[in-house]
Amino acid sequence: MPESSSTVSFLLDGSVRSLDFSKDGLLPSTTVLDYLKRLQNHHGTREACREGDCGACTVVIAEEAPDGRLAYKAVNACLLFLPAIHGKQLITVENLPLRDGEKLILHPVQQALLLHNGIQCGFCTPGVVMSMFALYKSNAPAEESLVREALAGNLCRCTGYHAILQACIEAISQRTEDHFDITEAETLKILREIRNTQLEDSFRTREQHYMIPRKLNQALLMLQQYPAATLVNGASDVAVLQNIKHRIFPEILDLSHVHELDFFYEDHANWFIGAGLRLQDLKTIAAGRMPVLHGLLLHFASLQIRNVATLAGNVASASPIGDALPLLFVMDARVHLASVSGSRIVPIEAFILSYRKTDLGPGELITMISIPKPARPSLLRWYKVSNRKDADIASVSAAFSVELKDGVTSDIRIAYGGMAATPLRAAQTEAFLKGKPWERPVVEDAMQLLQNEFTPIGDARSSALARTLAARNLLLKYWSETNADVHE
Amino acid sequence: MNNPGDHSVSHSESNILHVTGMSRFTGDLAQEMECLFGKVVFSKYAHARISGIDITKTLQAPGVQAVISAADIPGSNQTGPVFHDEPCLAEDTVQCIGQAILLIAATCRPEAEKAAETVNISYEPLPAILELEDAMQYGEITGRERWLKRGDTHAGFEQSEYLIEGQIRTGAQEHWYLETQASLAIPGEAGEILIHSSTQHPSETQAIVAEVLGIPRNKVTVEVHRMGGAFGGKETQANPVAAWAALLAVKCGKPVLLQLSRQDDQRMTGKRHRFLSTYKAGFTAEGKILAYEASLHGDAGCTADLSGAILERALFHTDNAYYIPNISVTGRMWKTNHPSNTAFRGFGGPQGMAVIEQVIDRIARFLGKDPLEIRQLNLYQGVHNVTHYGQEIQDNHLEAILQQLIHSASYYQRRKEINEFNSRNAFFKKGMALTPVKFGISFTTSYLNQAGALVHIYQDGSILLSHGGTEMGQGLHTKIRGIAAREMGVAEVRIRVAPTNTSRVPNTSATAASSGSDLNGMAVKDAIDKLKYRISEAVAGSWTSDGKASRREEILFANDKVSHRSDADLSMSFEAAVQLAYKSKRSLSATGYYATPGLAFDPMTGKGHPFHYFAFGAAVSEVLLDVLTGRVSLLRTDILHDTGTSLNPDIDKGQIAGGYVQGLGWCTSEIIRWDQDGRLLNHGPDTYKIPTIGDIPAAFNIALFPGSHQPTAIHGSKAVGEPPLMLAFSAWLAVKDAISAVASHRKEPEFELPASVDTILQAIFALNQTNTSDP
Repeated sequence: MPESSSTVSFLLDGSVRSLDFSKDGLLPSTTVLDYLKRLQNHHGTREACREGDCGACTVVIAEEAPDGRLAYKAVNACLLFLPAIHGKQLITVENLPLRDGEKLILHPVQQALLLHNGIQCGFCTPGVVMSMFALYKSNAPAEESLVREALAGNLCRCTGYHAILQACIEAISQRTEDHFDITEAETLKILREIRNTQLEDSFRTREQHYMIPRKLNQALLMLQQYPAATLVNGASDVAVLQNIKHRIFPEILDLSHVHELDFFYEDHANWFIGAGLRLQDLKTIAAGRMPVLHGLLLHFASLQIRNVATLAGNVASASPIGDALPLLFVMDARVHLASVSGSRIVPIEAFILSYRKTDLGPGELITMISIPKPARPSLLRWYKVSNRKDADIASVSAAFSVELKDGVTSDIRIAYGGMAATPLRAAQTEAFLKGKPWERPVVEDAMQLLQNEFTPIGDARSSALARTLAARNLLLKYWSETNADVHE
Repeated sequence: MNNPGDHSVSHSESNILHVTGMSRFTGDLAQEMECLFGKVVFSKYAHARISGIDITKTLQAPGVQAVISAADIPGSNQTGPVFHDEPCLAEDTVQCIGQAILLIAATCRPEAEKAAETVNISYEPLPAILELEDAMQYGEITGRERWLKRGDTHAGFEQSEYLIEGQIRTGAQEHWYLETQASLAIPGEAGEILIHSSTQHPSETQAIVAEVLGIPRNKVTVEVHRMGGAFGGKETQANPVAAWAALLAVKCGKPVLLQLSRQDDQRMTGKRHRFLSTYKAGFTAEGKILAYEASLHGDAGCTADLSGAILERALFHTDNAYYIPNISVTGRMWKTNHPSNTAFRGFGGPQGMAVIEQVIDRIARFLGKDPLEIRQLNLYQGVHNVTHYGQEIQDNHLEAILQQLIHSASYYQRRKEINEFNSRNAFFKKGMALTPVKFGISFTTSYLNQAGALVHIYQDGSILLSHGGTEMGQGLHTKIRGIAAREMGVAEVRIRVAPTNTSRVPNTSATAASSGSDLNGMAVKDAIDKLKYRISEAVAGSWTSDGKASRREEILFANDKVSHRSDADLSMSFEAAVQLAYKSKRSLSATGYYATPGLAFDPMTGKGHPFHYFAFGAAVSEVLLDVLTGRVSLLRTDILHDTGTSLNPDIDKGQIAGGYVQGLGWCTSEIIRWDQDGRLLNHGPDTYKIPTIGDIPAAFNIALFPGSHQPTAIHGSKAVGEPPLMLAFSAWLAVKDAISAVASHRKEPEFELPASVDTILQAIFALNQTNTSDP
């Protein structure tokens, strides 16, 4: 076996770095941030929260896209386990300038930030630069809304963002070839070479057994053997527990290299979303097909998170809010599970058992989520109430889908997140509305009923009263957007 | 507004370092040496007696090098900045969750964190005061009650046609500097210690480290390269962090980095004081305020910290920009079992101003008028130009700023459009508000208004400049470098600003109160004046013009040259002049010193001249409110702000944008809640929401007020650090305006600060409940 087989290898600073977890004393689930801290000359990747909420540690991962070009994605280094970047290029702020002997030639995004004075204390600056860089390397047009989306995951407490926004728009609108373009072919070659060497499918250290299968079958076999293993893909949830609660996960099964799960397809009746499909890729796919899901994903966490996280992960975490869950409830999504002994399909509502508990059995993993295409997509809505528009978990989220016949509600599905220990359908309210005219007085009566149907709690995000008010209001909002006046 | 003849504006060297990731913050310095990592074990109870501490397992935990308790402190167990009421480490009782009890040093951070989990502390819980109302009923105040008054409010109320009374809450705010509190302590020989600290107040950090270690201050050097944001949060509360790092470093004989994790930082350090304020105002049918009483109650937390001075500034700003003939304001800072609250951009000013802005807004709604009309009617102007503490408002630009802004922001046109929009839409409402800011510049503790500098000129003509101010992102070093270049008549590239260091400039004040460039700029000028005097003497002595020896007064420093004022033939390079001065045995190093003249305030009479001058500004914000979800979108903000003759318009505009958005966070999305045991619920960025780029106005127009010049300040400039934060009241009250539109402005909405989604949904619900009964 070649020597590199026991290592994780990636490209950094123009050369291949190979890490041997058995020798380096590194936990395999060491984050890219903690790894960079051990290196000289990489302290530009900064730590300010260790939970993926601030973007100060934003780095860019370049990997070969299906079109054979390099795709550049901004990610939070604090949430990224090292094995996830095997066969990829890790780009940090130090890599952006071109070095001409002693002279530094700044990257256009760095130049623009300097020119517009988008820098004050400088602590968030490298992360901002990297998010700007990823946008620069995409084909996105220089639109303010896209800049806001790309930078929503980078907190800055000094500048008020005004200058950063202007700098980013200018840099994007004057996009030219940079040194990453010039070395692209060489980079692709190196990355292919890394990926062509056989990577071991698990790393064992004293404290951790980290499994990183390439094939679904292999993943299922591993899961059969280690049913207690913690499943991760983007790891954006598990990494937080490791960072903040100092938990060490003794067995991790990392699905991020099982490319079989990274798919999307549709037939006449359903959309099929692979468990490995990143939320940002899903957002792109949803743009034309599922406007409601697209709208949901636009303000779902931040770009850095969406670049690693998956819909399956959001479902599996079974959060009481789980932004996407109410919509999946209303759309009657199905969770496809597989294990060595077979596969099964569970309706999403049945899959979520209780607070952060799912029907996922030992040895099982989610392979995909299927969503029936709605009969009348124009009557489907999803709403979110949160303290902040971007990168905030909802205090209340809700989804609605009504079927009307001659102005009368023939069927209606209503689901809320944030109102109970799990997302829930509003069964009583649905029953009340069925068969009644879809009119404001009826809806107002339903709002009263809704108020009694849930007993939300008050917590860090919202008071109980505000949750109840939001839940009521969202029903009215839905009505206001779908009533006869709107649709006649 | 650059001064003609300025050398081309050079980017600060720091910005190039920042944008390439090469700048070094305190934590980065530790990566360059063999260093231990510190961890603080803090109280889990808001108020308790410590009945036992078991560290048996901790001492045996992997990597642990030292565990320190109060008993191990060689000097005084005190880190209180003003009063000695703040133990460095708890002894037998704890006063808040987050109070430090033990310190651990380990060979790496994970080991230190793991070791902290092995500590076993037993507590006997004691009754805790966690709410302001409880403190006001059962508790005690820290410091003394403060008051300011003018005229006779009773008579004023009697003359008034209408009275309103009420109360308003303003919330706490977490600083959320991107770089958490950090100190790196490096022990030297013979008991010396060097502290690299992320502190706004190196001299105080030095003093407190010296006291805790029990050594004289001349053995403690504190150096500050830069801070990754501070906003007041590192004015006093960096001190204990430095003391903890120093204790561990001395105990272990090795460098120790103590940097708080984000969650520890949020739990352990103080915040902007939340206030509960009651008010009563009397006014005429026209809307003129004749009398105003307010009683301000702040949550000090468990120790005094800077609460007294913060309360004082709150009272000085209860008038904001308005002349009130009869006024009586009192304030108390209540002790509670929360971490001690502390300085935060605005330093009490915002809390005092929020009350009068709420009052004005209420008066307008009561009278059915546009709040702007009430603001203009009551604005300081003409003969009504003396504050309630007796200071005349010189160079008052308030009315001019308002007029210009009303025009440039098309206020009345947009007001009409908003009314039309609101009449057409039930589920969306627009709101707009224009609010002014008047902010007093100076430390209200007069003796703090002093600064020092040290300027060296080397024989190659390069200049090393040190001053007492610290760089936290506000661009102080860039401004000071510009001032020095202009004073010395040389290019900026010649000048390097050294990291702030207590061994170069001693006995400094905190970089706070927006005073950094005012005070230190003047001190630098003083040092440069001395150097120019000496160089001039040397140069004049070597020149004769028209057969006469040149005089010192005839020597001019400009464009990197030293020249004769009236004889064009007499000129030499700056380097040559420096050489000449050196060879004629003149010192090329000078200290500079400055103290703001004429400041006086008598707390016994409540009268005086506490401020050097006032900064002015105003903002209009327009919002779109989704009535059903409580979501607010900022459509447009226009700001006109007075920075005097700006030292650096780019930096000043950045301060204005940043201050406004930070204020916006306080006014809207930044919520702090505690549970019934005093545990902070919003202790990380997952639940504590500072603004993102998605929250800034869709149209954001920032302009500097032209034609202002502050003759007594350095180069005619004005301070700009704090005042823009309060421009965000325009957004706060625009939200209220939009809420109020739900009931067609006929009912006063229940309102507080922040105008969070929670507050908005409840206010609208209440309006709808009572709407029908409204006449």
